Amino acid sequence: MNRKSKRIMLLATVIMVGGALLSLLYTSFTDSLVYFHTPTEIRQKSADFAGRKVRVGGMIQNGSLVRKTGTLEVSFTLTDGHGDVPVHYNGVLPDLFREGQGAVVEGVWRHDLPHFEAATVLAKHSEDYVPVSMTKEGLEKAQSSILKSVQ
Amino acid sequence: MWIEVGHFAALTAFVLALTQTGAGVLGGILARPAWVRVGRQAALMVALLLTVASLGLIMSFLQHDFSVRYVAEHASLKLPVFYLATAMWGGHEGSLLLWVWFLAVFSAVAVWRHWSTHPLSMPWLLGLLGAVMVGFLLLVLFLSSPFERLFPAPADGRDLNPMLQDPGMVFHPPFLYLGYVGFSVPYAFAMAALLNGRSGTEWILAMRRWTLFAWAMLTTGIVLGAYWAYYVLGWGGYWAWDPVENASFMPWLTATAFLHSVMVQERRDMFRTWNLFLIITTFSLSLLGTFLVRSGVLSSVHAFANDPGRGVFILIFMAVVLLFSFGVLVFRADHLRSGTPRLDTILCKESAFLFNNMFFMVAALTVLLGTLYPLAMETLAGTKVTVGAPYFNKVFVPIMLGTLALMGMGLVIPWRRATAAALGRMFRWPLLLALLAILPVWLVGVRHPYGIIGASLVVFVLATHTQDLYRGVAARRQRDGRAWPTVLWHLVIRNQRRYGGLVTHLGVLLMVAGFIGSGLFQQERDLVMRPGDVMHMGPWQLTFASMGRAARHNWQANEAVIQADKGRESLTLLPQKRIYDGSSQPMSEAAIHSTWREDLYVVLGDQVADGAWAFRVYLNPLVMWIWWGACVIALGVGLSMLQGRRLRRKQGA
Repeated sequence: MNRKSKRIMLLATVIMVGGALLSLLYTSFTDSLVYFHTPTEIRQKSADFAGRKVRVGGMIQNGSLVRKTGTLEVSFTLTDGHGDVPVHYNGVLPDLFREGQGAVVEGVWRHDLPHFEAATVLAKHSEDYVPVSMTKEGLEKAQSSILKSVQ
Repeated sequence: MWIEVGHFAALTAFVLALTQTGAGVLGGILARPAWVRVGRQAALMVALLLTVASLGLIMSFLQHDFSVRYVAEHASLKLPVFYLATAMWGGHEGSLLLWVWFLAVFSAVAVWRHWSTHPLSMPWLLGLLGAVMVGFLLLVLFLSSPFERLFPAPADGRDLNPMLQDPGMVFHPPFLYLGYVGFSVPYAFAMAALLNGRSGTEWILAMRRWTLFAWAMLTTGIVLGAYWAYYVLGWGGYWAWDPVENASFMPWLTATAFLHSVMVQERRDMFRTWNLFLIITTFSLSLLGTFLVRSGVLSSVHAFANDPGRGVFILIFMAVVLLFSFGVLVFRADHLRSGTPRLDTILCKESAFLFNNMFFMVAALTVLLGTLYPLAMETLAGTKVTVGAPYFNKVFVPIMLGTLALMGMGLVIPWRRATAAALGRMFRWPLLLALLAILPVWLVGVRHPYGIIGASLVVFVLATHTQDLYRGVAARRQRDGRAWPTVLWHLVIRNQRRYGGLVTHLGVLLMVAGFIGSGLFQQERDLVMRPGDVMHMGPWQLTFASMGRAARHNWQANEAVIQADKGRESLTLLPQKRIYDGSSQPMSEAAIHSTWREDLYVVLGDQVADGAWAFRVYLNPLVMWIWWGACVIALGVGLSMLQGRRLRRKQGA
């Protein structure tokens, strides 16, 4: 092979490898976008989300956490103040999971079920670390900031 | 009292940093050496003053001075002394001070070390580093000051976030920052080279150690973060593609690309503009990393603050740095062309490096897209999306395999041109071994194609590297006729750079083995146990013996006693659920039994009924290889760094 055709071959390889990498990037990216919704949105456009992997973020409603005694099955309600979604989950809950805290659940939305079947539960950290001895006002502020960030 | 000293020192440092910038740049442009010398003195003073400022803040912590807002927010009377001192970087404000402190110390060292060797770059070096320092000090002094007072002073502080009360988290940020800030010196030299229009090999040689050092620190920082996540967060993994992790990973990727492609410039005087582009990108990504984490745009474990004024400042700062750097690169790029030799064949080391860079750049692009796209969507379209781990894994595994293949080939393939016959000689044995490796891997039970290809490539790389070492030793033995340990020793000592790189590759291989093992073969089980219950996990039999209490320093915990048996081996695991004083967040403290083969990892969950507790148990194969790999990498980089400049040696000879 002469110099010129070698150069063309090099160029072709670069373009091929680069193209392959970029198309890998593109397809994986479009495949794995997970949309994030509020309980209200889920309620309003229930049919649109059917069968799709979604994330729902909200506050865990006070008094809604029920555990099936002796098992890892829990159910609770996620709310954003307007709408709420009952969630069912089977597994160990994260450390920060508490009533009145923010949480994000991920799963496939099936609107025929009476509840959201969560595959993953993530507890949301507030931006600031808030100890218990903080004033009530401070806690409320932290809660509202969480709500804002999930909405 | 200390806080005033610190505050005053920081303010003075700000003025002197301005002086450093002005005197340096103007002195350079107007050719006034005396002004440049003023810049130098200012740089040294800034380093000293910021040291005082940082120590002032640390002293305020040690004295429990809760009249300082930052101290009150991040410490308490009960906090152990060790964490008291390191709480300085426990929050947004203090960690920015730490950043600029490191920057000041590095610029002082750079000025001191390179003053006589790189006189032409000095004015720009002073100016650029000074300007970055001014930017950060503006932030530290006026927008998020750690020196701010709180009145009336509370009797006790809020305490440090319990998650940060762990050695892993204590050392993780400083190492990351040493890495981020370390890139600022090569960046300044690169910009100086561009601005002077002299971008030969000089700046590259000066910068090799700086870049290696920064890269090693960044690597250490990232691994420490992973280690912390593994031991403290109790989710059985070490890497989650969290935006904050990604922020530190991006500059790592471009820096790795730079460390490789810079060799091509050194040896063959190619890729000049490209290398400048890479180092500027690396530093920009370091800034982006700092800001992404510290501006609060990312809601994450690490994001501390949320303040629009600060966000706007940071955006402007980033925009100035990016526009200036890349603008200079574009406008001065024509100064860079020399009689650069052209690359015109696939079979040579240059093209191996070319592809290496391509893989790393696509990797960096992948991470950048996955990290910034959700942010962009939220700002522009108002929809929230996440791009989770599946995306990154899908792209990264093939890239990792490709890089491994290149690693095996790149080391031994000759510069300029390789003939087919030579390639056959070089790769015959490694390829054969790589194919043979598939069999035992299959027998062990690996069925996933990625696992098989990965393991086979690891063997391939190992074989090429060993063969390379063997050939070196054999050739020298023939010449000198000495015993092989002596020959090996001399070979390595005389070529520390090259063999340091080889050792670094070995460390990477160990880590890759760890990634494959823990990534593909992790076993996980959630279950409920009552005292006396028994479960099985792989070869282990776990008995939940009893439930107890534990307490120390500033926390109390529920502690499960788990008896783990495997054959004749028997041990006790004590997973805890801690409650820190003054905090309502429980913290899981996983019990981990590590061996070279696998980690047995037990997390205690909530109490689900009277006497019944939730547990999550993992079996993570080969995780320890990741940590050992990181140590080997550090060793390799250290070896590499010890050897001085190639050019000087050549000139001396």
